[in-house]
Parts: sequence; C-alpha cells; structure tokens
Amino acid sequence: MSQLPGLGIVKGMAVTLRHFFEPKATIRYPEVAATITPKFRGRLQLLYDEWGTLKCETCFQCAQACPIECIDMGGTDTKGRYHVHWGAPETYGERRDESALRRSGRTVPDPAYTHFEMPDDLAAVDAILDEHDRDPARMLAILEATQARYGYLPVAALKRISHATGAWYAMIYGTASYYRHLRFEAPEAVEQAAAIADHRPSEEAFVAALDAALRRPGRA
Amino acid sequence: MTAAVGRAWTRLTIAGKVVFIAVPLLLALLVPLGIALVLWGGAIVDFLAANLPLVRFLVAATAILLMTVPTAFLIIYMEMKVIALMNLRVGPDRVGPFGSALSVVHGLKVLMKEDFTPTGADPLVFTWAPVVVYLASVMTLLVIPFGPGLFGQGDINLALLYFFAIGGLSVVGLLMAGWSSFNKYSLLGGLRAAAQVVSYEIPLTLSVVGLILLAGTMSLNRIVLMQSGSFLDWNVFRQPLGVLIFLIAGTAEANRTPFDLTEADSEIVAGYATEYSGMRFGFFFFAEYVNVFIVSALAVTLFFGGWTAPIGWPWPIVGSLDPGSLGIGLLLLIAIVPVVATLLLAAPFFVARSSMPAWQALVLGFLLFNLLAVVAVLGWAFISFDWIAGLIWFLGKTYVFVFTFVWLRGTLPRVRIDQLMGFAWKWLLPASLLNLFATAAAIVVVGK
Repeated sequence: MSQLPGLGIVKGMAVTLRHFFEPKATIRYPEVAATITPKFRGRLQLLYDEWGTLKCETCFQCAQACPIECIDMGGTDTKGRYHVHWGAPETYGERRDESALRRSGRTVPDPAYTHFEMPDDLAAVDAILDEHDRDPARMLAILEATQARYGYLPVAALKRISHATGAWYAMIYGTASYYRHLRFEAPEAVEQAAAIADHRPSEEAFVAALDAALRRPGRA
Repeated sequence: MTAAVGRAWTRLTIAGKVVFIAVPLLLALLVPLGIALVLWGGAIVDFLAANLPLVRFLVAATAILLMTVPTAFLIIYMEMKVIALMNLRVGPDRVGPFGSALSVVHGLKVLMKEDFTPTGADPLVFTWAPVVVYLASVMTLLVIPFGPGLFGQGDINLALLYFFAIGGLSVVGLLMAGWSSFNKYSLLGGLRAAAQVVSYEIPLTLSVVGLILLAGTMSLNRIVLMQSGSFLDWNVFRQPLGVLIFLIAGTAEANRTPFDLTEADSEIVAGYATEYSGMRFGFFFFAEYVNVFIVSALAVTLFFGGWTAPIGWPWPIVGSLDPGSLGIGLLLLIAIVPVVATLLLAAPFFVARSSMPAWQALVLGFLLFNLLAVVAVLGWAFISFDWIAGLIWFLGKTYVFVFTFVWLRGTLPRVRIDQLMGFAWKWLLPASLLNLFATAAAIVVVGK
C-alpha cells in the first residue's frame, strides 16, 4: 500500500464536498428557458408546399452557407432532377443503409452516381483537370472544357472535379448554375422535362377541383 | 335529504372537508374534557401528582415519539438534497421551498399505499416487526440529554447500558421481519442484517468502555458535564481511537453506506423488508433515519461535549431582559412594533425599486420582519434560557454529524459482505480492545 489507509476516503469526500458547493448546470425548464444563440436554426428540415412537392429548388445556397458543411444533398428536386434530402446522415433511410453497408465492409453505392447516366469514362475529366493544373481558381475553364467534352455537365463529372480540386460540390454547382451557357442535362432530357411540364395531371386535377369548389366555369 | 348532503359534501374542497371533520371532532373531544376538568379537576390533578414518575414517562415518551417524525423527515430531505448537490444535480425543488416538503409527501405516499401481508406469513410477527425496530430506535432517545435538565427520562446512572441494551433490540425486529415474511430471501436478508448488526455491536460497545473507565460513570448527563468548559475538554481528545471506532461501528449499526448491506437496494431486493409494503415498510426506513440521528446524538454526547458550548462566551451579558417588567407597555409594544417594523422594512424596497408595487414591498417587509422577529426571539431565548442554548448547541452538533453521514453516503461505495465482517472482527475489535487496554493502562500509570 503506497498511501495511508483512509486517505482515499478523505480524498473522495473532498471531491464530493467540492461538488456540493459547485454551481449546477441544470436548467429548470418551464420556469427558466435556456439561452439559445441567435444563429441557431434547430433541426434541418425540408418543407413541402400544399401540393405535396418539395419546395427545395436545389440552389445549394444552404449547403454553401453552412459553416460546418453538415448539409449534404442528393435526391430529386421539383423538376425531377435531383433526389433532395439533407441534414444529419442518420435522419434518412438511404443514409442508414449506406452506413450499414459501410460498417459491414461492403462497397457503398453512391446514388448520385448510379441514379444518373454515367459517362463512359472519367478519364477525359481527369485529363481536363490535369490540363488546368487542378486549380479551383480556374473552375470556369474546367467546366467549359467538361461541357465541350460531354455535351453537358454530368453529376459524376462535377463530383470528380470537386474531389480533384478540393472545391465544394455546392460551390461548383453554384458556379455552373450561374452561367447560362452551362447545363446539367443533355439537350434531349431538357426537352423531356419540358414535355412533362406541359402536362401535369395532378395540377390540372387540382385546378379543376378548385374551379368546381369556386363554382367557376372551366377556363380556356 | 341525504342526496343534498352528499352533493354539498362533494363540492367541498379538501381543506373544507378537513375543517368539517376536524372541528366537530375537536369539539367532541374538548368539551367533555373541559367538563371533566371542571367536575373532577382536583381529583385528576391529585391522581396525576401521585403518579408523577409515570406521568413524566408517558409525556416524555410521547414527546420523543412525536419528535422522531419531523427529525426523520428532515434527515430524509437532507439526504435527498445533499446527495443530489454532491452529484451535481439539483435534487428536490418542486414541493415546498427548495423541495423541503418532499419528504412529507413521501410519508403520505407510503401511508396511502396498500399494506400487504403475504400468504403464509405469520401475521402477528409480521405486523409487530417494524414496531419493534422503530420502538427500539425511539426508546434509546429517552436517555439522551438534549440540554441541561432536558432528558426523556431522568438522569439514569445506567443510561449508556440502557442505550446499548435497547438499541440491540432492533436485531430482534429485523429477525422477526425476515422470519415472518415466509420468503427465503427475506429470511436470508434478516440473518445477514442480524449478523452485521451483532458483529458491529461488539466494537461499538467496546469503544465506549474506555470512556466509561475515564468518566467513572455510565450516566450520559455526567459524561456531558465532565466535558463542560471549552472544546479542549471534549472526550474526542482523550479517546481519539475510540471516536473513530465508535463512528465506524455506528455507521454499520445504523445500516448506513458504506455498510448498508442489510438493504443494499441494488443487490438484494430489500433484504428483510422484501415482503413489506405501505407504512410497515415506511417504518423500517423511518427507523433507519432516526438511527442516524441517534448515532450522531450519542457521538456528540459521548465525545463532542453534548449540549455544552465549545467556547465560553467571553463577554458575560449583563442584565437580562424580562418582558413582564414592561407591564402595559408590553401590550403596546406587541401592537405597534409589527406594523412599524413592517413599514420601515418595506420602505427601502419601495423607494429603491420604482417598478415594485406597494403591496409587494409591504409583503417583502412583512416577511423580513418575521425573519428578524424569529431571529430575535431565538437569540433572546438562547441568552435567557440555559436549556434552549444547550438544545441549540446539541442539535447543531448532532446535525453536523448527520450531515457527515449523508456526506459519506454521497461519497463511498458499498463494501462486500466478507469485507464487512472481516473489517469488524479483524480490525475494529482488536483496535477497540487496544483502545480499552491503553486507556486502562494510562489510568493505572497516571492515576486518577
């Protein structure tokens, strides 16, 4: 025994006595509200409009503004392009599957890659990147070269560029969406989307129901 | 008619119901009592005077029995609050100021629970076991001197012996509870509790024998008087080892952490109290908390000067205030002082804080006045009456020890049963014998 018998008891009692006089961290909630920092936004949530479609336009401004890069986007937006979800990875099922796969040691399929049409090879993107020294400051030139090669900007290529240059995907998307001559879909896909936009069965049904409710004759 | 009465009854609030029951009941009790006093008053007084020792005993026993209830409530509250604060929690803070009424609520809750007797239990023994445990605790309080001339039962010259004899009775209660429950786990718990309490009884008693040799008496009152003077006369400086053994063994006697194996709630459901519920269960735990008070009180009495002040007041107070001498002035004082003092105390708040309405300032002033009045009355009593000063010193010292017991519980983990027994027989018993021999040798060598 390296110390006096009973010394441990004395030490322990000193600790408890110190704790006795320490201020307590408990907040008596209904009487006292916790102080919340003004920038706190609570839990991330995507909002739906009254037709049940996501309001998110995938502008990526939130992902750009997020100081700790906790917003991660994927999925489909209002135009059927992206599958949109965000927030903590645990909060949506897709991510749960991913993390389960990751824990089991298998390769994780990336829906952002698999959902979209994969270009045959990303070697062309790599060549373009090497040509531009993988410099994020020369992003516009890289994006233009990529579009010249593929005809549009595939998501997989953007991700590859993001990975190689170190620029956030959100920032690359922001850059690309700023310039009107850059596009994200092949021209035929744009036509298809326009065709869908011309004919929206659920919206027509809603308008008809609205007219019926307002007792208005159908419009031309 | 009955329906109307029933309806009226259901519409009463709880307080109203209490008043409606209590007032007629009190009248029914007091009026015959008053009539009896008027008719046979002289005879009753004569009868009581003839049996003064008996009357004295009954009054003292009742007073002490009643005293244990708030004591237990206070210690239960202390335990909840102090351990919570030591665990960096807030603890009870909902019922009463700072949650102080929570232990009362606990008591009421226990009273309202079903009082269940298991099939196959011995109902008589089962019912009496908590009573024996509780009374064994309460009866020991009869000989503790709370202040000069403030005993439960006279100045018994065998008080210490009585204390240990009656205190040892609680083992009987524990065994009764364990045996009569008709449950092998209860029986094991009871035997375990008995083994612990009996083992620790020996060092506990032996640790005091040295003190008895020194004092030459077993009267607790004379032991206290022996220590009067300054705190340097306390027995703690004559029997340091004895104090240590006494406190450790007393902790085990009172079934407190780290020796609370008898009802180690995280290990053996509740030991001997497994089959108990309701108030019978409550009595075991009341007894435990009363035991904490008793062990603290005995430690204070034996080793820490009892009700004597640790230092004599250096400036004697000249002239004592006799309120009776004021005559009619006293009545005026009682009538005027509260009003004036309330207004005076409210004025600063009203002046300093313009946002405070007048009635709030008045309420604050009234509360402050009450506080001051209580302090003043206590101070006056402390100065004027020896026994109140003694009682305050005694209770103050006792609650320091109660706090220490709670503090120990907030700090230490529970020991194992083999460690518990080994500690009692291998360490405490030899140490107490050593203490006894050393004391005896010192008395022989130095002389009385």
